Amino acid sequence: MLSKNKWLSVLSVLAVLAVFGALALVIFYAPLELTMGLPQKIFYFHVSSAWLGMVSFFVAAIGGILYLARGKEVHDALSLAGVELGLLFSVLGTVTGMLWARPVWNTYWTWDPRLTTMTIMGFTYLGYLLLRRAIDSPTRAARLGAIYAIVGFVSVPLTFFSARLLRTIHPTIFGNTGEKMVMTSPMYQTMAASIVAFTLLFVVLLWHRVRLEMAQRMLDSEPEEGTAKHQVAKFDARGEEQ
Amino acid sequence: MASLWALIKKDLIQEWRSKDIISAMLAFAVLTLFIFNYALSLSPQAQASIATGIVWVLVVFAGTLGINRSFSAEQDQDCFDALLLGAPDLSLVYLAKMLSNFLIMALLALFLLPVYSLLYNYSLFNGLFVGLILLGAWAYSAMATLLAGLSVQTRMRDMLLPVLLFPLLMPVNIAVVKAGAGILEGLPFADFSIWFTLLAAYAVIITTISSMVFEYVIKE
Repeated sequence: MLSKNKWLSVLSVLAVLAVFGALALVIFYAPLELTMGLPQKIFYFHVSSAWLGMVSFFVAAIGGILYLARGKEVHDALSLAGVELGLLFSVLGTVTGMLWARPVWNTYWTWDPRLTTMTIMGFTYLGYLLLRRAIDSPTRAARLGAIYAIVGFVSVPLTFFSARLLRTIHPTIFGNTGEKMVMTSPMYQTMAASIVAFTLLFVVLLWHRVRLEMAQRMLDSEPEEGTAKHQVAKFDARGEEQ
Repeated sequence: MASLWALIKKDLIQEWRSKDIISAMLAFAVLTLFIFNYALSLSPQAQASIATGIVWVLVVFAGTLGINRSFSAEQDQDCFDALLLGAPDLSLVYLAKMLSNFLIMALLALFLLPVYSLLYNYSLFNGLFVGLILLGAWAYSAMATLLAGLSVQTRMRDMLLPVLLFPLLMPVNIAVVKAGAGILEGLPFADFSIWFTLLAAYAVIITTISSMVFEYVIKE
């Protein structure tokens, strides 16, 4: 049976503190950007969310590969948790980006490669969840989900690359194409802190989700001989016979 | 090699006897073209920039209709077990399915090009353009065949394939449309050769990965 994990509890508290710490840095420490002003501040959480939206795909694919290779349920749970968090963070990344774009680009949406890639990635996560929902057998759902996570992971960089070949107006911090955005060192520190805080939050959420999924499956599975749950199940079965 | 050919022959003979899939695909493609004609008020002036897009959308939509059925015979008649017993290597089952789907897609494309050229008095018969559509059809079949193997095992079956397929097909769509526009506008090959490289890379990578994981698609 799953017991309480001390490390996870500590880490959860740390993650919450880190996110609030990063928020405080964004509000009080990071300076106002010269041309964009206040809306630019959403950028710190935007970049962190977008980053985790991509990391999730990696986690999901690794979980998928491990599941196909070893057949352990925990790897399937990891893959599923990765996809769910990926959907969450890619939606967060997209929404924060749109809120930023309205004052800065004067439109919520452009068909910019990064926006397009992020949204297509969200749809891939959604496809994965729909695929699993449409399958009754848990092992089959795990098997087919793993395959979809793997090909999805391969296709996303290609989508990014192909969209990137079209022109981009998205500001780039890393890399050398598109419009440059210049950052001062307090801005870099705030960004680094946000990314670390969000990554910590991601790890904690992932861990919780995997444990929850495993607990759920344990409850759904056949009770083991001799346990209290087994006794109850036997009692119920006798009741139905009479 | 012999067993690969045997598997392809089986699919093609099956299709040849019924002609269900190909006739439905062709009719669907032409009808969709008629919808586009009015929906987008296609004029001869706009041809170079959108002709590729129209033709490619027809190929993708009609192709999805057809590829959806590609595993339904196996599923309905429980022939997956026979394939598991008979095929020496399960990646061959995938490759054969992929190639027969590709041949059907190629047939569809080779039918659509003259129809489009005839209806719009705008010739699409350019060696490079035909090559592009065929390369796109390969990239498309490689991904669609694998995902059809997944969706056929779900409760939603036909409904699910487009939802799974279209997000992952994005690079193919962008590359075909961009390269096609370059060809029809008469730009030098060097200007759009990168899209050919991208398409070929996608096709090779997806074909390889799919044939590696296909055994997990049908093995319970």
